Amino acid sequence: MENVRSSTLPKKYHDAVVRWGQTFLPDYQLLLDNWEKFFPHDRRHELCAYRQCGMCDTIEVGDMAGKPKFERASEMTPDHASHLLKAIKAQASTELGSIQQHQLTLARAPEEQDQFWVLRMMAEELRHGYQMFSLLLEDDWKAVSDTKGEDMVEEVLQMRTGSHVLGAFNVDFDSFVDNIVFCALIDRVGKYQLAMQKVSAYKPMSESMPPMLQEEAFHLATGVVPIRRWVQSAARGEGYVGMDLLQKIINKWYPRGLDMFGDERGGGSNVRMGLKPMKNGEAAAQYTAEVEQLIGDLNLRYVRARFPDISRQEAQERLALIRDEGEAVEGVTRDDLLRLPHPSFFRRRGIYAYQMLDLDGKPVQDLEEYKKLMLRVLPEAYATARDTTKYFDLMRQVLAGEVKAQDAVHILPNLSRVGGVCPCSRAVRWVVDEPTSGNGHG
Amino acid sequence: MPKGEITLRPVSELDIESICGIDEKIVGKDRPAEWERRIAYYLRRDPELSLVAVEDGTVVGFMLGEVRGGEFGLEETSGWIEVLGVDPECRGRAVGRRLLEGMLANFKKRGATAVRTLVSEESQKELLGFFEAGGFKSTPIRTLECRL
Repeated sequence: MENVRSSTLPKKYHDAVVRWGQTFLPDYQLLLDNWEKFFPHDRRHELCAYRQCGMCDTIEVGDMAGKPKFERASEMTPDHASHLLKAIKAQASTELGSIQQHQLTLARAPEEQDQFWVLRMMAEELRHGYQMFSLLLEDDWKAVSDTKGEDMVEEVLQMRTGSHVLGAFNVDFDSFVDNIVFCALIDRVGKYQLAMQKVSAYKPMSESMPPMLQEEAFHLATGVVPIRRWVQSAARGEGYVGMDLLQKIINKWYPRGLDMFGDERGGGSNVRMGLKPMKNGEAAAQYTAEVEQLIGDLNLRYVRARFPDISRQEAQERLALIRDEGEAVEGVTRDDLLRLPHPSFFRRRGIYAYQMLDLDGKPVQDLEEYKKLMLRVLPEAYATARDTTKYFDLMRQVLAGEVKAQDAVHILPNLSRVGGVCPCSRAVRWVVDEPTSGNGHG
Repeated sequence: MPKGEITLRPVSELDIESICGIDEKIVGKDRPAEWERRIAYYLRRDPELSLVAVEDGTVVGFMLGEVRGGEFGLEETSGWIEVLGVDPECRGRAVGRRLLEGMLANFKKRGATAVRTLVSEESQKELLGFFEAGGFKSTPIRTLECRL
């Protein structure tokens, strides 16, 4: 990375992140030991913060466009600082939350290369969390906020699956297919957020984004490349991941991805404050267009692998007949292909939150019918897991008028863990004060 | 083939299928595994360096490369253009030239003082002409080969 300066956190915070990594990313050293095997000549991973030099010095969007960017928190209004701290906390939480999720099923990767790509991605997410901590610790937020940066760092380090800020990071992985589809769909949302935050009116935030975006580019490939391979194998009747499973896992993650953009109607205050260049709905629509392109390419790949002797042009024509006209061509039907659910399906935030809508966005009248539908279209392990049962329970409460949909939006699954990765990792501070040098007593 | 303004942007994982399509028109073979491997490699190394040319939302060309130094007795930081392809239906519209200009600018931003590539004099005469028109010259460095 050119024109980038690096820094490390003060020792006790750096050590806290290292300790956190030892608990939730125990294969970190394995990654470093095998770096040259899987990533020859690539710059070796380092746990540090990077800041891009030479970026735009003026606010690029919003009411203060053209004015100098904020270099310090004290230059902002408390309202600005509040919005920004929310974003930093959410970003940090997503980075660490995703590591906790990926770790659950990392060992189940069928291919070693895929496993190490995911492991590298997890190490880079740890660096991204570290990057957010640098924003909290390298500035003094006292003048504009009741929040102390160091308290927020500890708070995020304490989070576990079930208590993270955004819903997508409170959902357990059940198989390695989750790891891969998550990279393709949820990291894609991350890419949008990072790209939007690149114009942040707060200069340290905007400078943090380019190195994170560069790393994120490979995370998306970590998802898309294996899915392409699985689709081709499925078409040939080979491999272990069928189109049906892939579809169910897309049905699981795409709605959570859309939820991450927030309410479609919102985001205006971030634009006004110069923190992001577009509102939620616009960003979510662009994301959907990208995912639609991905699904289209995967379906073309399926048809090509299924009919290897036809030309690309013929494959595109067959795909159009199957997908758009609903015709069966040499045994391949629309049901064999992947599709994107309607954006209203299975949503917990925004205009469609807690509405019983099917994959086409059509209403389902009855809760029991809705549950049966969901059991059919979601992966079995997930459909019967706590996150989904909590969702059905909230839906019942919304339908019964016990809870308003707009309030249900704010009720996190808050899964309490039974057991955990390590018993000593619960309710223990990650940041430990350095022992003061003693004078020989005791 | 749509005709509109050609723009350049960094290559992404979503370009794999389009690049497969262009490659297939050129070499006559569908090679998805090859391009999945290659695009992932360039994204890992420097995702902002390699470029695609886009017209009306369709990828019409690509150029992939990286910055290296300290090899083959060449200590200076050098850009290497390793792969390129232009949709045959878009030839003659300066797509390749636009990509080359974009890549040279990217290499310069990264501190490269020279850009290199390898071209077969026997089988890639057209490509040779393209690079020569772009300011490339033959160098004293020889390609040596040992068949296994």
